[in-house]
Amino acid sequence: MSQSKSTQSSLRPGAAVLAWILPGLGHVAIGQTRRGFLMMFGILFLFFGGLLIGGIDVVDMKQDRLWFIAQACNGPVAFIADYFNQSMLKTADLATQARMTSLGNINSTGTLYIALGGLMNLILILDAFGGPDRGSEHRRRRESD
Amino acid sequence: MQLIAWIPFAGPLNSMQSIWYVLLVPLTFGIAVAYKAMRVSSLENYWRQVLLMTTQVTVGIVALGILLILFVKYLVPIL
Repeated sequence: MSQSKSTQSSLRPGAAVLAWILPGLGHVAIGQTRRGFLMMFGILFLFFGGLLIGGIDVVDMKQDRLWFIAQACNGPVAFIADYFNQSMLKTADLATQARMTSLGNINSTGTLYIALGGLMNLILILDAFGGPDRGSEHRRRRESD
Repeated sequence: MQLIAWIPFAGPLNSMQSIWYVLLVPLTFGIAVAYKAMRVSSLENYWRQVLLMTTQVTVGIVALGILLILFVKYLVPIL
């Protein structure tokens, strides 16, 4: 009875906030360090991969608002990218804008990378908030061995 | 010349414009890395699971693409 009670996961709002601030940090904070760093690698790989492919233009809160809702789940890093897009690219001269704005498949792919990374991080935020306490499971297994 | 003007993380990688579909592989890899880190009960076979999921999703999307081409090119004209 006491064991089944201890396997129940409690809600962790602090871990969820940390998971949004930096992907994977919520899991690191609740003791699932290796999992957390792997999640961080996966989400940041998608985010910076998207920026590498499509450039800063693929994160645009004003022109691609629906996409940005998904991208915002990546955390503050998405808002920083949007800030650089609005303050540097959108205010630049036309020649620079034409050179730095992504078009066609490259724009779609870059946008998709960051949006899917954001939606994936949303799942990880929910897991950090109310997912199973895997750290204690491992500890119990080790103790029983 | 176009590559010299490219600024990583700021400008678009236009050299990939004609082979954009290759970028599906790193996309599925990134999703698999994050998803499997949450999903697997033990991290012992983690990278094997990631590789498996990357392959499954990539093959699945390619198969759907081929089916769609066959449908549009051969089945729709018959209808």
